[in-house]
Amino acid sequence: MPFDLNFIARLIPALLEGAKITVELAVLTMAICLVWGLLVALAQGTRGPLGWISGGYIQIVRNTPLLIQLYLVYFGLSMAGIPLSGFASGLVALCAQNGGYVAEIYRGGLQSVSTRQFEAGRALGMGRWTLYTTVILPQVVARIIPPLTNQSISIIKDTSQVAAIAVMEVMKISEIWVETSANTYDVFLGAALIYLALTSVTSCFGRMTERWLAFAQ
Amino acid sequence: MEDTLSDAQSLAIEAPETRLRPMLEIAGVTKRFGEHTVLRKVSLSVQPGEVVVVIGPSGSGKTTLLRCINLLEEYERGIVTVDGEPIGYRLDAGGQRIRMLERDIVAARAKIGIVFQSYNLFPHMSVLHNITAAPIRVKGIARAQAEARARELLAMIGLSDKEAEYPVRLSGGQQQRVAIARALAMDPKIMLFDEVTSALDPELVGEVLAAMQQLARAGMTMVVVTHEMSFARDIADRIVFMDGGVIAEEGKPEQILFSPRTERVRAFLKRYNERYRI
Amino acid sequence: MSSFNPLYHSFWYLLRGAGMTLLMAGVAVVPATVFGLVLALAQVFGRRLMRAAVVGYLFLVRGIPLLVLLTFAYYLLPLTGIDLPPFWAVVLVIALYYAAFMSEVFRAGILSLPAAQWDAARSLGMTRSLMLQVVVLPQALRLAAPPFVSLCISLVKATSLVSIVGLWELTMASREVVERTLAPFQIFIGAAAIYFCICYALALYGRHLERRAILGH
Repeated sequence: MPFDLNFIARLIPALLEGAKITVELAVLTMAICLVWGLLVALAQGTRGPLGWISGGYIQIVRNTPLLIQLYLVYFGLSMAGIPLSGFASGLVALCAQNGGYVAEIYRGGLQSVSTRQFEAGRALGMGRWTLYTTVILPQVVARIIPPLTNQSISIIKDTSQVAAIAVMEVMKISEIWVETSANTYDVFLGAALIYLALTSVTSCFGRMTERWLAFAQ
Repeated sequence: MEDTLSDAQSLAIEAPETRLRPMLEIAGVTKRFGEHTVLRKVSLSVQPGEVVVVIGPSGSGKTTLLRCINLLEEYERGIVTVDGEPIGYRLDAGGQRIRMLERDIVAARAKIGIVFQSYNLFPHMSVLHNITAAPIRVKGIARAQAEARARELLAMIGLSDKEAEYPVRLSGGQQQRVAIARALAMDPKIMLFDEVTSALDPELVGEVLAAMQQLARAGMTMVVVTHEMSFARDIADRIVFMDGGVIAEEGKPEQILFSPRTERVRAFLKRYNERYRI
Repeated sequence: MSSFNPLYHSFWYLLRGAGMTLLMAGVAVVPATVFGLVLALAQVFGRRLMRAAVVGYLFLVRGIPLLVLLTFAYYLLPLTGIDLPPFWAVVLVIALYYAAFMSEVFRAGILSLPAAQWDAARSLGMTRSLMLQVVVLPQALRLAAPPFVSLCISLVKATSLVSIVGLWELTMASREVVERTLAPFQIFIGAAAIYFCICYALALYGRHLERRAILGH
């Protein structure tokens, strides 16, 4: 496995182009899921048909592979007359799946705040709004940062699957380069390093957010 | 180098003929937790069949001392001897303090029985299995024999009907009694009790103390760390008061509890009386 | 929408694909669990060097997408001279990947045991090996069972990725049928339904284990 510097010099910019798409996709997915997941979580809390539908939605997206969801959106929707680009399909499928997981994170976060906090707040005479904004929500926010960080890392890794529908992110570009050259090892190293960099930065960011929140309280 | 002299000095190597060999000999034990010295050259001798109760404020090192005896905690200086044999550390031919082999330490632990404050029993095993697991797996005793002995012990503590129950179904007091039986099943030479009633509801304390009384009357050598002063008075042959990592005073129960010599003991008992009104 | 006939006609073919999915997952789970346990024990009991090696391995495996690992194993393995049939190559990669996640689950279970349990076992004269066999692992593994089942569900879903490197299982089978029948919506929904049945069944088992764990303690 010789180090072909010429090759690497051409490889890196190509991979970085792919990394841009990866980051775009991941950031958009996370941003949308934070809102969509919240809506689903709130819907799940209600009784009646809305609660069941959202509960069913979560179960469906959690128990089917992302790849199938990708194919369904990309191929299925285009057959039904709504042709979406690879990127858009990827975004829809990623948001659909991770929205379910984020909703569960919200629910877990709220449940983990002990009922004693609610009781203590009420006993102090707090109204519902004050109770939630000053006592409950700060604690929930602090508790959901670690699982949300993990979910973000998961999203970054999941973007690799959109290579299957020809989106030019890191995995797809690596595939192309591997097929057109013999330098499999270097391409792999490059792709691996990019993902490691992205996931490490996300982890760090998550830890900093945790510390900042603990400090701010 | 300083280790050799002080340990050799504090060890009663040549026991006088008139004295029995101590069942437990703690000689010059020192333990540090980082900057903080938890035990300072603590020495204690316990005769066979003697019941020693250790009292004192929290942070005085009583629990740590107990845990050092069977090497649940490491300690920097000193030697602990049980029935004449060192455990954990020993002096080599040149008088240097060296750590014993892991397998010797493990074997020596079987001679010491200890009961903890909580989460004592193995929750995934029935009461009978809790008691027989160690004799079967550690000592290699046949199952039938181990179970027979376990049933004897259960009868002694009055829990024969609970042998197939799981710990989660027993009260705290019942669990602690089973824990005592489990420790006894290994035929230890000495029993250690680390605040075994502190985590119990008050009405369950009595049954555990009764079991310990039974054990004391049967002649077991015991070291008991406790807050229960009236129990201390009833069961102890000797009371030891620890404070700040040293033994501040020791003596007969009546003397320590009612006419202590040192101010520290007086202050401690005064605070205790005000809280519990004994 | 058009009829679901294409799905009905190919359903048996898809089911055979599901059989391969289950086979792959079932075979991969075993080494994943064993290696995961080894990694967890190495992290809890090992010396500094071993712990660092395990942490390094976890960092690499959890920061790189499974698809990247699968693709490059597929291309790189023949180059290193190891002549492994593709089925075993992908099963190996999946197992090595999931071992990392399982080790964290096992480690959490081991560390969550109250210290008094370790003390009691040691005080009864048990060697470390006996301690693990009799006291620690029986409890830790029971605690780890619900999240372990979640990982198994994730593993089943992950087998869909081997279709991208050309191996045949349910996702590949559905792609073949779609190419033939040009009915992506119906076929992929069918595949999703089959995955759902497998994963949801596992999820229900996981919830049953969770309830048992709560009641038992």
